[in-house]
This record gives sequence, structure tokens and C-alpha cells, in this order.
Amino acid sequence: MSRIEVTHLDRKGTPNWGALTGRLLGLILGLAPLLVFMSVFFFWPLWNVLWTSFQDNYGKFSFENYGEVFQEPYLTAFKNSIGLGLISAVTSSIPGAILAYLIESRGGERLRRLVASVSSVLANTGGVPLAFMFIAAFGMEGSATLFLKLLGINIYSGDFTLFSFAGIVFVYTYFQIPMMVIVFSPAIHGIRNEWQEAARSLGASRLQFWKNIGLPLIFPSFIAAFLLLFASAFSAFATARAMSSGTIALVPLMIGNLVDGNVLAEQMNLGKALAMGMVIVSALAMIPYLVIQRRAARWQK
Amino acid sequence: MNLKRVIAAAAAAAVALGMTVAVATPSTAAVNYCKATNLKTAGGMDALVKAAKKEGQLNVITLPRDWANYGEAMDLFSKAFGIKINDDNPDGSSAYEIQTIQTAPAAKQPDVVDIGVAALNGVTGAGRPSLFANYKVATFNHIPADWKDAGGAWYGDYQGIIALAYDSSVSPAPTKISDLTNPAYKGMVALGGDPSGAQQAFMSVFAASVAKGGSATNIQPGIDFFKDLKKSGNFTSVVANGENYVSGAYKISLSWNFNGPGAIASAKAAGKTLKYVIPTDAVLAGTPYIQAINKKAPHCAAARLWEEFLYSENKGKLSSQLTKADLKLSGSKLFAKIMGGQNIFVLGGATPINKDAMIKAKKIVNGPAGLNIPKGAKIIQPNPDQQDAAKKLVVAQWPTL
Repeated sequence: MSRIEVTHLDRKGTPNWGALTGRLLGLILGLAPLLVFMSVFFFWPLWNVLWTSFQDNYGKFSFENYGEVFQEPYLTAFKNSIGLGLISAVTSSIPGAILAYLIESRGGERLRRLVASVSSVLANTGGVPLAFMFIAAFGMEGSATLFLKLLGINIYSGDFTLFSFAGIVFVYTYFQIPMMVIVFSPAIHGIRNEWQEAARSLGASRLQFWKNIGLPLIFPSFIAAFLLLFASAFSAFATARAMSSGTIALVPLMIGNLVDGNVLAEQMNLGKALAMGMVIVSALAMIPYLVIQRRAARWQK
Repeated sequence: MNLKRVIAAAAAAAVALGMTVAVATPSTAAVNYCKATNLKTAGGMDALVKAAKKEGQLNVITLPRDWANYGEAMDLFSKAFGIKINDDNPDGSSAYEIQTIQTAPAAKQPDVVDIGVAALNGVTGAGRPSLFANYKVATFNHIPADWKDAGGAWYGDYQGIIALAYDSSVSPAPTKISDLTNPAYKGMVALGGDPSGAQQAFMSVFAASVAKGGSATNIQPGIDFFKDLKKSGNFTSVVANGENYVSGAYKISLSWNFNGPGAIASAKAAGKTLKYVIPTDAVLAGTPYIQAINKKAPHCAAARLWEEFLYSENKGKLSSQLTKADLKLSGSKLFAKIMGGQNIFVLGGATPINKDAMIKAKKIVNGPAGLNIPKGAKIIQPNPDQQDAAKKLVVAQWPTL
């Protein structure tokens, strides 16, 4: 970097246009694949959703769709979806963080690698197959249900049902906890043993180390991971659809019905407006993520 | 001046005459199948079959094999005419069909679609460009006027009736929708999806409404019924489909009758006995699904032959009964020998759109046993406007059931 910076000025201090252009060209060429990828898979679809969200079903410009977003049942759906994201993030980030800590601090190299590969498989399990796994295990005649029955425990004797808000939070832990382990382990790994030793040699207890040094160090990473879990539960679609038949108001399910349903066809662009609402919520969640991530990076230098 | 006029008129007359001659004897002129609006302008059945065979392929979209016996329809068509059928996204929705027409590249365009009335209303009407080509099948006059476009842009093909589907282990066996409140059915009752998005589930709620004193103009008792079922724990929000049924996640569901034969066969293969019965307290008929030829169809002749086939009222051979000798017949003779699409729908448990004409002409085959409509039952069929009004209530109330 610094070498190039020197060469773009010649000895008299006038710009060396050849080197400058070369540098610029290199920059553009280097970024091109990313820019093309982002344009095709991110900016273009986003622009499309934004543009059509301002159209009525006849393709005319209209604010009509956004008027409906703030009415029922969509308002409740946004509340529920944000709630689901937050509750799922809380219930998965804490056990996930503890698990990551135990594995990083107590586990050997082999266990760490095993957990990393298992976690990356589990963290990518979702959609209808995930719902079906739980239905086949904990459904009315699921294998786990029948096994527990053999042991004398009937989980269906009371009000338990997999097909509720709490049930969905429970199912989501299956991919959320492993995701937390993957994202959070590097942060714990980043706490160097030398720091602990240094703190101890200065007379700090284990508790003091964690309270004054360890936790402040990993907190930004924790929040960042938390927001990631929030975003993934907030936007998950197929699992919730397969389990709720729409009896729980969630934004992604309503977008699905509006855009790809057999019943509603007159309000497709309302789905796009709801999608923009989700983009805005996700973007708002990303702002603290970015701020904190920047701070975390500074700490880790 | 006058002479010029006479010559011009004579020339025009000659051209017009020439054109008439060309149309009347299609064998002498190449037919543009994309512009053919009926069998006659397509040059007759022999020519149509020949052209379709030459194209060799047919693009269909979102046709599940076990839905209304479409599997047999596709097998028979494919075998008889040697045309490969490409079925894009068999489990997709009507909205997917429309979006594909609007956005897919030329080669991926479907030739024909089978869409719900809601999707049709979403793309037709004043001020919207037509997506469909005009083509009147040979039995066009048998289709009730309410269910076809006068110009032949679209027409209804078959419809279903909401049936009770239940596992043979369920005791007592339900015979009507109001039976579903029985405490013995705790956690057993499911629907085929979200009624705000799946037509089958939506019409199931309508059927429940009719059973509980509602009507085509009043779906509220149906929503309330499921609210009560959810409260009592009988209703489980797992989606009623083959996998979930086999895993025991539910035992009773409401479903189109025309999905019965396919579902019963799949259940049998998994070692289960599934039964279908039309509830005695509500006979709810759906609006017909809509058939149309895509204006951008890549295989214009095959698309038109497919429509002729689907609306044929023949009683004839199924795919497994076709012999090598049959396949050597001329196009029109072979077409007359195979089972018509309208009767293939009947064999799948569906009600074909040409039913009345077929009964009159004694051309209808017997449908599967057990799916008979209870004697003297009143068939309720909410029309598209009534469905639109009902949708608003379902969309508003179902998410907080």
C-alpha cells in the first residue's frame, strides 16, 4: 500500500497519472466480482422490491401499500416477528455463549474442531425439513413422544403443543445455538492467556478478571452475535409456515401468502411493501451491529 | 379513375378470394399454430397431432402428479403422441405460474397453465395486457358460460368438493364436519395449509362454515369453528400433507375430493389406510380451476393439442392400455381412441367442467367409490365475489386464531 502511495507522485510532486490510473484500474478490477455479485443478487432485487412496493396491482404509482402496512393484521405481525426475533436471540445466545466458552476454555483441539464442524451443519438446518424433524420427533405420535410415553411421561397430557409461538422458539434453538457457538467462539478464543496471567500476577481474582477485562472485551462480539440471531429468527419463513398454518401472525408468512399464495392475487405489491418494512427493521438492527463491530475491531488490534 | 377503381376492387377481391381458398385448404399452406383459434384453423386433428409431434415437447407448470389425476393425464398424452412433458415446479402456486409467464425467458415459458380464479382475476380485466392466446376447444360449447371467456382466452377445467380425510384408526369415524369437536380427536385435526394462502384450506374453512350454519356469503362460523377447535386442542396447525400424515402428526383433515385417490394410494404404500368421505353436513364445491394457453407458448401446436385432450369427453384407453398398434394409428384415430381429459378428471375424483353435457350424452365414466355426494345434499359453491369478501375476514382473523 505505502509503496504505491509514494509512486503516484513523481519527484517534483506532480501526480504520476500513469501510476494513479493503474491503481484505480486495479481497484476497480479487484472489486468488480464483488460489485457484480452484489448488483445481481442484492441491489437489483432490492431496487425491484422498492420500486414495485410503490405500485398498485395495475402498475400505477401509489402509496396505498404503505398505508396498509400500519394496519391490522400486519401491525401485529411486525410486533410478533420482532418479538420472535428477540426471544429466540435471548434463549439461544446465552446457552450458545456458555457452550462456546466451555468448549474454548476446557475442550481440547479435537473437540473444538468437532464442535465447529457439527455446529456448521446444524446452523444450516432449517426450512421444512427442520419442521418435519421436530414433528416426527415431538409430534403427537413422534418417536421421542412415544419413547417418553414408554418411560411414563406423556408430554401431551397437558397443554403442550409444538405448534405455538413457544414451540417455534424451541425449534429455532436447534439452529440458533450452533450458530451462536460458531459466531461467538472466535471472540472467546481472542482472549489471550497472557492477559489472564498478567491480571493474575497483578493480584486479580478470576472473577475480577472477567468482570473488568474479559466481559468488556467480549461484550461487543456478544451483541453482534445476538443481532445476527435476531435477524435469522426474524426472517425465518418455511419452518414457521410448516408448523403454524398461519395461525401465528408473522410478517414472512404474510409476505408468502401475498406474493406466492393461491388465495390472494390482488395485493401482490403489499407483500413488497411488507418486505421493505422487514428490510428497514433489519437495517436498524444492523446499525448497532456495525458500530459495535467497529469498536470490537479496535479492541482486538 | 373508374377503371382504376374497378381494377383495385377486382384485385382486392382476388386477394380475398385467394386468402379464403388458403384458409379452406390448410394442407396447401403452412399453418401458424400460434395463431390457430380452433381445431379448424389448426388444420384438423391429423395436422395438429403431426405438428405437435414435430415440436416434441410440452411445457406445463405446477401440476402435481397426484392432483386431480394429472399424473395419468400427462402419462397418457406423452405416450400417445410421443411428446415429452416438462413439468416446472410441480408443487408451486398459481402466483408462480403467472410470475413465470411475466418474467421467464422464452424457452422456459409454460405452454399452458392451470390457475385458480383469484390468480385469473389478478391478471385479467380492463387495462391489463392479455397473457393468454384465444383458442376454442372442440367441446367449447359444453363449458358453462360463467366459466369461460367468450373469446376463448381461458376456460374452467375441473372442480373439487371438500371431503373429510381420516386415518382408519380414528374412532369413531367422522361423517360430518361438526363431528370434529369430539374430544376423542384431540390434536388430530389439520388443514392443508394456511387459508390465507392455500385455496384448499380456504375452502375447507368455508365448508366448516356451511356445516355450522354459515353460507356462501358468510364464512364467519367457519373461522369461529376452527377457533373453538384450536381452543379445545383438536386443531393442530401442522400442515396436512403426505409426510406429516404418515408420521402421525395428524389423523383427520379436510381436502379436495380429487386428491383422495392419490393420497389413498400413497398412504397404502406407507402401510396406512386413509379414507375419504364427503361430509353429510356440508357439500362445498370449489370454483373450477382455469385452463389457458400462454400467448408466449414455445410449443403452440402441442399446447393446443393438450387443450383438445383435456376437454375431450372420450371414454377410451388409459396409458397402460395403449398397444403398439394403437400408436401407429393416424392422429385423429388415436385421439378418438384414448381416454379424454374430462373423464381422466372423473377417475381422479374431480368434477369435470363438461359434466352436464357428458351425462346427457352418456359419455361420463364412473368416479372412484366412496366419494359420492350424499343423496339430496345441497351443493354450495361460493362465487369469486363471495370468496373475495370471505378472504378479507380470513386474512384479518386467521393470524390471531
